[in-house]
Amino acid sequence: MNRVLLSASPQLRKILGLALLALLAVGVAPFLLDIYTVNILVRSLLYACVALTVDILWGYTGILTFGQSAFFGIGAYACGLAFSHLGLSPTVAILAFVGGLAVAAATAALVGWLAFGYGVSPIYVSVVTLVLPIVVTQILFSGGTFTGSSSGLSGFDTVDLDLETWFWIAGGALVILTTAAWIFVRSDAGRLLVAIRENEQRCEYLGINTSLLKTMILVAAALVAAAAGYAYAAYTDVIAPELAGFVFGTELVIWVALGGRGTLIGPVVGAIVIDLVSAYLSGSLPFVWKLVIGLAFVLVIVVLPQGFVPLLRKGWRRLSRSAPPAEPISALRPAPGASRRHSTAGTSLALQHVSRHYGSLKVLAGIDLSVRPGELLSLVGPNGAGKTTLIRCIADGHERSGGRVLVQGNDIGRRSPQRCVAFGIGRKFQTANVFETLTVAECLRLARHRLERPSWWARGSTLSVPEAALNVISATGLDRELGAAVTHLSHGMKQALELAMVLALEPSVLLLDEPTAGLTKPERALIGGILTTLAREHALSILLVEHDLDFVREISSRVVVLHQGRIVLDGTVAEVVDSALVRTIYAGEEHAVTGAAR
Amino acid sequence: MSGAALDLTGVSSGYGEALVIRDVSLSVAPAEIFAILGKNGMGKSTLLKTIMGYLPLAAGQIRIFGDPTKGVPTYRLADRGIAYSPQEQALFQDLSVGDNLRLGLSHETRFAQELDRVGRFFPFLPERMRQRAGTLSGGEQKMLLVARALMARPRLMLVDEISEGLQPSVVQKLVEVLRAERAATGVTILLVEQNVRFASAVADRYAILKRGEIVDTGGIADSGVEAKITNELSSV
Amino acid sequence: MSAQLLDIISSAAIFYIVAAGLLIVFGVMKIINFAHGGFLTIGGYAALVTTELGLNPWLALPLAALTGLVIGALVEHFVVRPLYARPLDAILATWGLGIVIGQLITIAFGREVQFVQSPVKGTTSLLGEDYSLYRLLLVIGALVLAAGLAAILQGTRLGLMTRAVIMNESLARGLGINSGLVRFASFSVGSALASLAGALITPLSSVDPNMGVPWLVNAFMLVLVSGTSLVSLAIATVVLGGAQVLISAFWSPILGSLTIVVLAAVILRIRPQGFARE
Repeated sequence: MNRVLLSASPQLRKILGLALLALLAVGVAPFLLDIYTVNILVRSLLYACVALTVDILWGYTGILTFGQSAFFGIGAYACGLAFSHLGLSPTVAILAFVGGLAVAAATAALVGWLAFGYGVSPIYVSVVTLVLPIVVTQILFSGGTFTGSSSGLSGFDTVDLDLETWFWIAGGALVILTTAAWIFVRSDAGRLLVAIRENEQRCEYLGINTSLLKTMILVAAALVAAAAGYAYAAYTDVIAPELAGFVFGTELVIWVALGGRGTLIGPVVGAIVIDLVSAYLSGSLPFVWKLVIGLAFVLVIVVLPQGFVPLLRKGWRRLSRSAPPAEPISALRPAPGASRRHSTAGTSLALQHVSRHYGSLKVLAGIDLSVRPGELLSLVGPNGAGKTTLIRCIADGHERSGGRVLVQGNDIGRRSPQRCVAFGIGRKFQTANVFETLTVAECLRLARHRLERPSWWARGSTLSVPEAALNVISATGLDRELGAAVTHLSHGMKQALELAMVLALEPSVLLLDEPTAGLTKPERALIGGILTTLAREHALSILLVEHDLDFVREISSRVVVLHQGRIVLDGTVAEVVDSALVRTIYAGEEHAVTGAAR
Repeated sequence: MSGAALDLTGVSSGYGEALVIRDVSLSVAPAEIFAILGKNGMGKSTLLKTIMGYLPLAAGQIRIFGDPTKGVPTYRLADRGIAYSPQEQALFQDLSVGDNLRLGLSHETRFAQELDRVGRFFPFLPERMRQRAGTLSGGEQKMLLVARALMARPRLMLVDEISEGLQPSVVQKLVEVLRAERAATGVTILLVEQNVRFASAVADRYAILKRGEIVDTGGIADSGVEAKITNELSSV
Repeated sequence: MSAQLLDIISSAAIFYIVAAGLLIVFGVMKIINFAHGGFLTIGGYAALVTTELGLNPWLALPLAALTGLVIGALVEHFVVRPLYARPLDAILATWGLGIVIGQLITIAFGREVQFVQSPVKGTTSLLGEDYSLYRLLLVIGALVLAAGLAAILQGTRLGLMTRAVIMNESLARGLGINSGLVRFASFSVGSALASLAGALITPLSSVDPNMGVPWLVNAFMLVLVSGTSLVSLAIATVVLGGAQVLISAFWSPILGSLTIVVLAAVILRIRPQGFARE
């Protein structure tokens, strides 16, 4: 812990220092600005808190949401309704606050369950978040005199604080929230957000429960938005259904897009600036201003998807000629206890009568297979034989149509990939399936997520990985590239990184889909050596799909031939190599053809 | 090299950074039937996709009847008389046989005429015009695929593993049709295949693609070729 | 009961007219055109202009369609085409455009609610009810539209090419179809249909710069639940539109307005293809 604090602290110190400066500015501002501006700013600062949540959801995690306004409205109405109907008192204030947050959290959990289930498309998520504020506003409309219907409620007894205090509350909250978000986003756990946005499938196959994580983030965002709404209602003394509406919800997205999604500061500044200017122009040119914003939004989306703030930041950097801060390079060390051999007894993988069909099209039928620890089994067969489908059926409980799959004696049932990982499955995809914008070290750390929870606020300077992964990393030279962004690696290195990540899971069954695709000859030899060592010394069961039959012959201990969805041959390399059946299948000799007259 | 129907020089391409085919050079003469052979995953389909413009050229040049293909969009190549029959998802399963055939032509005007001509090769097709293509058997679908390609009287046909999974009688039929069309119209055909017997029955010349590179080429009628190719393809 | 039946049929017809253009764009381009509401509003204001100029109210229809066509063509070329590889961003950009259109109309025409002259007034007696003649004509209009679209899609070369692009754009390109042109035409026609729909629905209520928004949300949910099939859309408008009419009549009009949106969201969660066949 101390090592971590010490090595992370220059960054952390800088952030906390900036936060302190910002708090100072907040403290002094009410005395330097005119009353009208301060008045507007309290509101803008609260909006900025909500814009922050939209950035975390959309800019970082990739969840395009129009629904944060609904939670804002819930918080506001909790305050307004309580004070209007129950009067003003500390008990009421606290109960209303807690109540509002509770309702917001429950709603967020419901939305999360609806929107983040298995196999739901990202468009559907945006659909649900669009529907939410519509539903909330309609409920408020139908509330009659209790909720004030379309005109809302106003003039209720509210917390009596002077303007400066409100400003300090709003400004202070914004600074604290932004700082916390900044620290979180840069921490090891924060990298999860980017990983989910970039490649959710890979996260699932690393054993990360992405649905739960997304729901948790949504609930946290809902709590913040509701709290801001509560403060808003207490401050402005007005509540109206528009606060929960989807016009406000989409405005938030616009502010984040213009400010710069995924930058935190950009959306905060964007929200404050746009709201302030809107307030000033609302008297004179309301429609032209909205038109300008709309045009700017369209322009930004088409031409400048990063928004304005990163542009400014780039210019600033060029002006001040300072190098971007260096990322802390992690050191690798072997994970304790991970180098023990897996038990060599029993069956590590068993398939019983597994089948897969799409309607009347049978892709796999009657697959019975048993794999023991230490076996290196190659799965071969012509195109369309069902090899990749078989891999999918092993790694994902939802995939197969019938039969059973047992990993280390555990029936995977209908479990999703991340739960199959927990049983010991590690799947490496055909195309290098990694996180392009993260660094090598960050990818590896994410792969360790299941076994070593990352810190929510710090960046570790060391990373422990099992010996098998360490071998791959040092053999391929990845240990010299720990700080490099994955997108700059060569194709062969990306394949190696993915293999290392999968090995970092400490799987007992390794599934590889065409691991030599696109590799050069020396790279192929390297991978072959690594796989043989893994099977022999670490007692891993390796199942590999390959077209390169030379490679198969060199490293396999067993070969299974798949043809038209069935296993037609299962034996040692020697048995399969010389079999007439294989020659027939591959050379198409069963289709005897007589040449037409030449 | 001038006057070649299809001319590849130093062509490399692939998906993203992974190069699947490297430095491939070959030349197909007009009215020639040329077979590209190789095992799975060796780059055969990638080669056809690159010629057709689905994949960008990482290096090298492609000329079709003398015109370079760089920068020409896929649909324009099809308009220039190139018929491409992909290996997967080659037909519109939900459209009728008739509609699939119609899409082989760029104008309706000659449809009846060409249907008549192609119908002589595959007599069952004109009787099934309204049937949904997806309900045809595997062999019938492949025949429909070839029929569609022939509708527009192409100058160059690119055919990706048409014989896969077909009964011997259907394969025999395809050999006859392709050779007959070549004799009648002088069409150039580039075939990608794993089926050696089919390739040797229909093609004039061949090349073997191994891990993205051409490793052997020659006339298919040369002695010992069939054994050589079979050896290469089925070596485990 | 007959009143409800007529309401259901006419509501389904109106929803169909409004959503058909959006479905065509979704089918061909796989994006939701969020400016659809803006095009509806344009159509509504075209009808207003026709009324203010004292012209025959029927002229509003071609005027609206033409305006929608031209503006749609411009939008496709400058905004949608560059975003071909970024569908979520395309949705956002068209949403921004909707806002721009709304503001331009506000600046030009003002914010107030205004009324247009209906081309057909009065009621007629049907099934023992006195029912709005205009609404019944809209039912006929929807049927004509559905028949027309089917005729074009099934009977013309352009329709065949469009269906091919909807099913498999890559294969279509390999067969010589200029898919970029098909997309351009589909978006323009879809926008023209949206504006036409706008002109058709304004006599039922009124025009204001934000009139398109509630229609957009409902149309968008109807399209998601219908996939790429106009037949599924017809079914969806009857089922969901019917549910909306019944809930508004027998329970609460405010909750009724939520029906399509909530039901569609639930259906999509259970069966992601919605009413579509595959």
